[in-house]
Amino acid sequence: MRPGAIIPATAASLTSLTVTMAVMCYLACLAIGALILVDRAVTSWTSGLSREMTVQVRVVRDADIAQEVEKARAVTAAFPGIIEVDILDEKAGEKLLEPWLGTRSLAGLPVPRLIRVVTDTENPPDVTALGQALSQVKGATLDTHQKWESELTRMARALSAVSYAILLLISVSAIAIVIFATRAVLQANRHIVDLLHLVGARDSYIARQIDGRFLRTGLLSGFIGVGLGLFTFLLLGLFGGGSESGVAAASRGLLFSTPSIAIWSYGLLFAVPIAATLICLITARVTLIRRLGVIT
Amino acid sequence: MLRLENVGLKYGDGPEILRDVSFSVRPGDFYFLTGPSGAGKSSLLKLLFLALRPTRGKLHIFGEDVGGLSHSKLPAIRRRIGVVFQEFRLLDHLSTYDNVALPLRVAGRAESSYRLDVMDLLDWVGLAHKSSDLPPVLSGGEKQRAAIARAVIAKPQLLLADEPTGNVDPLLAKRLLHLFLELNRLGTTMLIATHDKGLVRQAERPVLHLEQGALNLQ
Repeated sequence: MRPGAIIPATAASLTSLTVTMAVMCYLACLAIGALILVDRAVTSWTSGLSREMTVQVRVVRDADIAQEVEKARAVTAAFPGIIEVDILDEKAGEKLLEPWLGTRSLAGLPVPRLIRVVTDTENPPDVTALGQALSQVKGATLDTHQKWESELTRMARALSAVSYAILLLISVSAIAIVIFATRAVLQANRHIVDLLHLVGARDSYIARQIDGRFLRTGLLSGFIGVGLGLFTFLLLGLFGGGSESGVAAASRGLLFSTPSIAIWSYGLLFAVPIAATLICLITARVTLIRRLGVIT
Repeated sequence: MLRLENVGLKYGDGPEILRDVSFSVRPGDFYFLTGPSGAGKSSLLKLLFLALRPTRGKLHIFGEDVGGLSHSKLPAIRRRIGVVFQEFRLLDHLSTYDNVALPLRVAGRAESSYRLDVMDLLDWVGLAHKSSDLPPVLSGGEKQRAAIARAVIAKPQLLLADEPTGNVDPLLAKRLLHLFLELNRLGTTMLIATHDKGLVRQAERPVLHLEQGALNLQ
């Protein structure tokens, strides 16, 4: 004969808590997804930027720009830590200006010439020394992209901080909701708790009769939240504004990336049910022990 | 086993329900607690099963001063006390069997270790055929017997009963009295609050009479 549950599951149902926690977990998944996408995008941008530099040679009066460009190329190519030096032709320079000046011919305008420089990331060049060396070339300046990189990093840090803050707020809200639900369950079963105390039950025994339900609630709501989160990323990947859309591509990247990245992404997303379960279990247990301690 | 010295009790800012109650009970004693309704019998029993604490005076149970007892020490003392509540306090969602077995279950005993004891006791109180029934379908007398069975199943050293024969017929009341006397003979200390003068007469045991919050030994 299997003994019946001392605290009946029907008294103070946890359905509302399950729904609320599932929504919390869903929001946590979106925040984690955003965190992963921002992190991946910044890594991709900054690795591209830090591998490359640009030498710009402006048209200077009394100087032959072609000669100066060639001089700048030679100075740069001779520098240690430089892998590749590639002079962009005039058409390439004009193409870069197209968004601002349109497709009309720029002949006659003093359009600067650009040299694309690829650096060795293992053995990077001394950019200060390179900049000084290039100062011998008339009109030449070195753009290391550091300004853009630091701007991107700052923006990414801000976005990451917002995502972490959202996760923190979700966790605090979840804890508050679980405390409220635990008190409701305790109040609804007060007559049982009183009787259990009177027949000699310890607080830990009574807490065990209740917190198992919170464990199941945390696990269930966590998996519902993650399921909805993954479904959302799938929908964004499929219908998020066409294949060229940043959101759609990023969502697809999150779901169908290389195994090493996918393990990390899915690992973080599936940490949500674990966190939800721990929040439910630990919060319920602490609340129960504290409340039972004042019920004699 | 029990020692009360000038114990007083009041609820909140209300009047004193119990005033200067002093008595002691030694192991193996059997007392009846009588008195008119509202005299404070149930309140006195609540003090003794540690549901309340005295607002003044000293209460010692099993040598422990209840006034200074921490919350964590209460379960160990309560496990040595069996209580028959006036309103039964059976759990409606548990079977009669599970209700009776509750003190053993909370003490951490495995179901296989107490199954026979519980069924024997249910048989003795005439509820073996109702072991799977839920309390709402039991009669008043059956609930009373289930409540008594739950109070004695863990073989407590002290049994406190609040009107234990209030809902049973005279024949069953006599059987229950014999059960109490037998438990007392085996060493259980008894304190039974009752209005049943016939029960008191049959048992021929000392009576603590409570009237207007004050206690007298008769």
